[in-house]
Amino acid sequence: MDNVKDKLTACFATVFPSLGPAAIPSTTAAGIAEWDSVAQVNLLSVIGEEFGIDIDFEDFEGATSFQAILDRLRQRGAGA
Amino acid sequence: MRLSQAMQINQRPAPTGSARRKLHLVCGFTPLHLATYLRAYARTRFSGDDVEVVTGLYGNIEDGLRTARGGTSEGAVVVLEWSDLDARLGLRSAAGWSAAVLADIARQAPERLRHLESLILNLSQSVSVALVAPTLPLPPLTHLPPAQAGVFELSLRAALALFLERAAASSRVRIAAEDALARGSPAAGRHDVQLDLRADFPYTLAHAAAVASLAVECLFPPVRAKGLITDLDDTLWQGILGDAGAAGVAWSLDAHAQPHALYQELLASLAEAGTLIAVASKNDPALVEDAFARPDLLLRRTQVFPLAAGWGAKSQSVARILQAWNIGAGSVVFVDDSPMELAEVGESFPAIECLRFPSGDAAGVLDLIHRLRARFGAAEVREEDRLRVRSLSASAAFAGERAAHTGDFQARLEARLTLEFSTAADDGRALELVNKTNQFNLNGRRFSEAEWRSLFQQPGAFLLTAAYEDRFGPLGKIAALAGRCTGGPAEAEVEVDSWVLSCRAFSRQIEFQMLRCLLEKYRARGIALCFRPTPRNGPLQEFLGRLFPAGSLEGRLSLSAAGFAAHCPVMFHQVITKNG
Repeated sequence: MDNVKDKLTACFATVFPSLGPAAIPSTTAAGIAEWDSVAQVNLLSVIGEEFGIDIDFEDFEGATSFQAILDRLRQRGAGA
Repeated sequence: MRLSQAMQINQRPAPTGSARRKLHLVCGFTPLHLATYLRAYARTRFSGDDVEVVTGLYGNIEDGLRTARGGTSEGAVVVLEWSDLDARLGLRSAAGWSAAVLADIARQAPERLRHLESLILNLSQSVSVALVAPTLPLPPLTHLPPAQAGVFELSLRAALALFLERAAASSRVRIAAEDALARGSPAAGRHDVQLDLRADFPYTLAHAAAVASLAVECLFPPVRAKGLITDLDDTLWQGILGDAGAAGVAWSLDAHAQPHALYQELLASLAEAGTLIAVASKNDPALVEDAFARPDLLLRRTQVFPLAAGWGAKSQSVARILQAWNIGAGSVVFVDDSPMELAEVGESFPAIECLRFPSGDAAGVLDLIHRLRARFGAAEVREEDRLRVRSLSASAAFAGERAAHTGDFQARLEARLTLEFSTAADDGRALELVNKTNQFNLNGRRFSEAEWRSLFQQPGAFLLTAAYEDRFGPLGKIAALAGRCTGGPAEAEVEVDSWVLSCRAFSRQIEFQMLRCLLEKYRARGIALCFRPTPRNGPLQEFLGRLFPAGSLEGRLSLSAAGFAAHCPVMFHQVITKNG
């Protein structure tokens, strides 16, 4: 079971309620209109809360897809 | 509340047919999570109704204060930070911290606060305002070490305190209490520096949640409880009255009984603000009266009604008290030091909130006092609140005499009734009556401030209130009726949307005088009553049964002038009509 991926999926579902669970792993900022700069701050804040980590926004600069955020969380060892 | 929870609350569909409410948020920074939390707390407060949080132009607090005026908003939350007094007080400024800059800030801040005060007071003319004063620490602008406060900082804080004091004088501006905020959000955990610099949102999630929660509580305070029933021995005072005698029970610092004095002070203060205070005690009634005669008792005997002392079960005393107060158990708190007594009362009256007085635990008593203050806190104390205990005692005397003399009792009351018409929606007492009266209530409808205001924006809308006094004493303003008059002079018809009469004022024929007054003022052919039965408006239904003896009581009831005259009893009030 991939705990980090599951938690991140839950974060996406909270911030982007219109996304179905199946669509979340392939979501990109370019692909959905709701993912603007405010949504990015909301998303990172919810991720910080969910994973219990202090989010450094610099670390997530350019992370504009589910997969990219997942990769950076794994690099930081989040959820381990 | 976690941010994800707040978002999930905000995404829930509103109940079918519920109102869509609007709330303004005015702040100088990006509203971001504060708006999310505010909406979530407001939705929770309004039982899931949808709430739209409207924010003004980013970075322009003046625009926000101006645009929040008017409309049908439930209220406005104004959140100030130091950078709203002067941008140079924020971390996002790079104007320098030189002595000259600081002197300029100190010189301009009072003027800026006067300007904000004027805009906030203007705003409060149309909606209630919750005002949150700066909650974040000032940056280390001066040469002083952090341990020392200097003239610059103190002069800013003094100007701010004066501004808040002036704003608080308006009954429509409610200042969020820093002490209450600090309990939920300690100072060290408030500032999110990274988000402040990156997104102009200066609050940590926890602090944003605490500010939003406090602002909603200020703006929409929970319905306060109406009555407190207290035990005496080891609760109101230290010691057992039956053993120690009236002179032997204590509540002084010298006797190490000061927590009881604090509790007495609280009860006296609550009584002064209109809370009903009663005593339920297993004691000799004569001894209790002796103790209440002690001049050093901080709760006066006249502030207690009724005083139920005897040897029966506490629940029996509570039942008598509830009957004398004529209020539901759900509006009452019972305080006793004995877990057994609390359980006995709680079993008989599950709706009563039973709280243990932690005798011998000073910190516990202070916690209880805070809790009771929260349960009974009143944003505003009106004349009717001050009259409440006296008018209840008067009502008891009234009922006793009425039972003894049926014949010309009404004629001997020397009743004076003041009926006042207005179109003003800012009669706080009338709205309070409408929102808390159950028994004589035309349809049980409750109103938010915004809904109440919009009611009076309809053509022909009016408010009729009644204040009553007789030889037993004044009852204050005890009835409110909101309606509309339609049609021309010869064919006018009055429609009544809301009508309540306090239970303290029953059996005085005030309801008949109000209808007669309406018919006379508008020369109306009749009155339409928007009636709806509720589980608790039996007394209103009984009254309608007298007016409509043959018909069934359902929906909109039409009462003709002739029909009213046929069923109206002989009345003896001296009636004063204002704006009639």
